[in-house]
Amino acid sequence: MGMNEIRALIVDDSSVMRKIVERALRQAGLDPLVVHEAANGNEGLEVLKAKTVDLILSDINMPAMDGLEFLRQIRAQNLASGVPVVMITTESSEEHVKEAIQAGARGYIRKPFTAEQVKDRVLPLVHAG
Amino acid sequence: MFNGVRRSAIAGLGDGANKDGVGSVGVKEERRLMAISLRESVQRVSDPGNLDASVEEVFGLMLGVMCRRHQAPVALEKESVTAVVGFGGLLSGACVFRSGAKAAMDIAAKMTGMEFTYIDDTVKDGIGEICNMLAGAWKGKVPELAANVGLSVPAVITGRDYNLHVQAPEFQIHHFYRFGEDVFEVTIVCDGIQ
Repeated sequence: MGMNEIRALIVDDSSVMRKIVERALRQAGLDPLVVHEAANGNEGLEVLKAKTVDLILSDINMPAMDGLEFLRQIRAQNLASGVPVVMITTESSEEHVKEAIQAGARGYIRKPFTAEQVKDRVLPLVHAG
Repeated sequence: MFNGVRRSAIAGLGDGANKDGVGSVGVKEERRLMAISLRESVQRVSDPGNLDASVEEVFGLMLGVMCRRHQAPVALEKESVTAVVGFGGLLSGACVFRSGAKAAMDIAAKMTGMEFTYIDDTVKDGIGEICNMLAGAWKGKVPELAANVGLSVPAVITGRDYNLHVQAPEFQIHHFYRFGEDVFEVTIVCDGIQ
């Protein structure tokens, strides 16, 4: 691992959205940045078993395993302990936010979003770690 | 801390509302009242301005383009791309996005920074995600919808000379929009509301 390298896991069933999130992270100043990708919660768990990451960004609505169950499984399987998780999702209701927080999310970004919003939500979490 | 979401979402943590007992009874009653009001709020739910605002928001924030309502084109392109995201819960129906092939490739290009010469999987993925965000933004305009209606994963259809038809919808909002030389259409169709 290079000096101050940030390792991020992006979990979203849309490959286009994963690229958009990666671009937003780079525009936020996370550099050097290593990105791991997963298309659903199951794949995300497999990445976490094999790789060490500093930040996780996850969608909620995904096939196979959704983002909230992914969060619960991270805890249940004691993976990525202490790593901040930020949800990036179209779901914006209070209930969804509460559920995400209770499952362990440290941030919540609603789609559509700007790169500035990603920077504001993610940088404090990365620097605090 | 949580952009686009009311701060009261986290203010209520720790009040036991999600545990069995007194709090959960209050939540159930609140949901029952919300369900009644959803049926009685069909006019508010079907406000066409919410769709316009959603399109402006999604295209403005994700593509950096301004969209305006447009009249229906004289003839639709033969080859088109259609994405569908379903609604389920107190309201059932779908959000349908449709555009010609060129508009779809232009949209995907603005999302990804790539260039496309034909409708490949990345273009389809991008259009599916646009429809996903439109559906989420639209339902987020009405709090009762945001809390009580879920979204399906997007389905994307490509081809020529096809039309979509929904039988006897509760309500339907169908608008055309334009940015630059590209035109697309978005339909919100509701086939059931409780």
